[in-house]
Amino acid sequence: MAAGSTYTKISSYTLGSNQTTVTFSSIPSTYTDLVLIAVPFSTQAGTSSNTLRANFNSDVSSNYSYTLMYGDGTSAVSQRGTNATFASFGSISQTSATAPYISIIHLMNYSNTTNYKSILVRDGRGDEYVEAWVNTWRSNSAINRIDLTRDGSNQIKSGSIFTLYGIAAA
Amino acid sequence: MPSHLGIYASQISGHLASASSYESIATVNVGSGGTTSITFSSIPSTYAHLQIRGYSPSGAYTNMRFNGDTTASNYRYHYTVATGSGSLSSGSAASTAYLPVTGGWGTSSPLAMITDILDYASTTKYKTIRDFEGIDANGSGELYMSSDLWMSTSAISSIVLSRSGATFGQYSSFALYGIKG
Amino acid sequence: MADTFTLIASSTAGAGGVTAFDFTSIPSTYTDLVLKWSVRQDLSAVAASDFIYINGSQTSYIGRWIEASGAGSATSYGYSGNFTYANPEGNGANSTANAFSNAEIYIPSYAGSYYKSFASINAMENNAATAYVSLGANLWSNGSAINRVTISTSATSVTGGAQKFLQYSTAYLYGVSNA
Repeated sequence: MAAGSTYTKISSYTLGSNQTTVTFSSIPSTYTDLVLIAVPFSTQAGTSSNTLRANFNSDVSSNYSYTLMYGDGTSAVSQRGTNATFASFGSISQTSATAPYISIIHLMNYSNTTNYKSILVRDGRGDEYVEAWVNTWRSNSAINRIDLTRDGSNQIKSGSIFTLYGIAAA
Repeated sequence: MPSHLGIYASQISGHLASASSYESIATVNVGSGGTTSITFSSIPSTYAHLQIRGYSPSGAYTNMRFNGDTTASNYRYHYTVATGSGSLSSGSAASTAYLPVTGGWGTSSPLAMITDILDYASTTKYKTIRDFEGIDANGSGELYMSSDLWMSTSAISSIVLSRSGATFGQYSSFALYGIKG
Repeated sequence: MADTFTLIASSTAGAGGVTAFDFTSIPSTYTDLVLKWSVRQDLSAVAASDFIYINGSQTSYIGRWIEASGAGSATSYGYSGNFTYANPEGNGANSTANAFSNAEIYIPSYAGSYYKSFASINAMENNAATAYVSLGANLWSNGSAINRVTISTSATSVTGGAQKFLQYSTAYLYGVSNA
């Protein structure tokens, strides 16, 4: 059996200013899976967190969907989203929060050109929600670009951290 | 030695590794016509943990067997599942080890799974398998957290994933990784 | 190729067991930490909780988790207080012999200045209808860099109390680097 070290950092961002979009571009197709670790805040005021959105290859059409499980400390429930214009990469803390949501995002077989793309996400913040998602991007294209945004007119806040890793199978 | 010897263990291994601890061991890519089983054999015992990362354009219950052990009573399975609305159901089954996402979602909606086995080479522990997997088909789908138990103290040297009444379709890909300890 | 995922330290409980696994002097040179542990406690119960302490602190923890027991519906629990329920239902002495839990936490940006959020995922198996899987979100409301992580058998003592992790219990600490 062949063996080889893997789990390689592709790129990383620690935002020095507020950004409308955080982009990972020119993602090489040489890995098998991608792992994205997100430690984000948004510029949204108020007391509610919201969704960290992702689009692949600049696709903003209704080609995304998800199945979700989440717990709020009392109930564990499931939800579903269909024909969405973005993938859901978990929640993102509002500007006044002192703690980030964190997301662990697995983009499985991201560079295949024969089938849709499946993304597993675990995220949460200890004083709000624990969540897990499976997203599908209905495209047979290899993922070569990921755009991260916050919904509405708000931005991703300075100090947010995103790191993309590649895992290569033998 | 300090009087608290044996009370707690504090960073005693000295494994200050300088090379990556995450390694690819083997990959099975399914070709035209599909296959009913995925096999990882001759798994070296030199890692601490195994991880299987899988992708399959068709979902179906996948049975998991270790070291050729087909004695059903040596396995146990538990799960919780999200199906898109309402509460998360939970259940278990004796005499089986499953990777549980079911079929019928169509060949375009791919199953994604991450399965972790800690201390797979232990000769003193039974093997607890932790699985996180799901499939979403734009209006249907399932998301599972599940676990399996293989009641054997043998080191895992082979893993067979199989489907009955269904195949792993073309373009399915299952990769085995070792994590050093 | 840069070494991204690296073992920092590991530990195995010997005969007589241990009351805690204590990873100290964690270097600040990585980006994230991953802790994996496979343990069984001597508590006379099917399930026993494993507690996590950061930097020896016994304050400012809060968390939510989803837990399923093998029947009915999964539920969600919350806590706040002096410890983290990093593995709320691990193997106790009354679970199937030789079964050890499969637990993991991921701590991003452990050396940064934000409060420390971390994710947990766990499985405890048992050859019976009841066993547990859980998914957790945890928070230590402290901006200090993490230099110590302890897995303890006790909700009141960082280095453990009356219960022990049994022989062959293991814990592994990994660093993930984005350098």
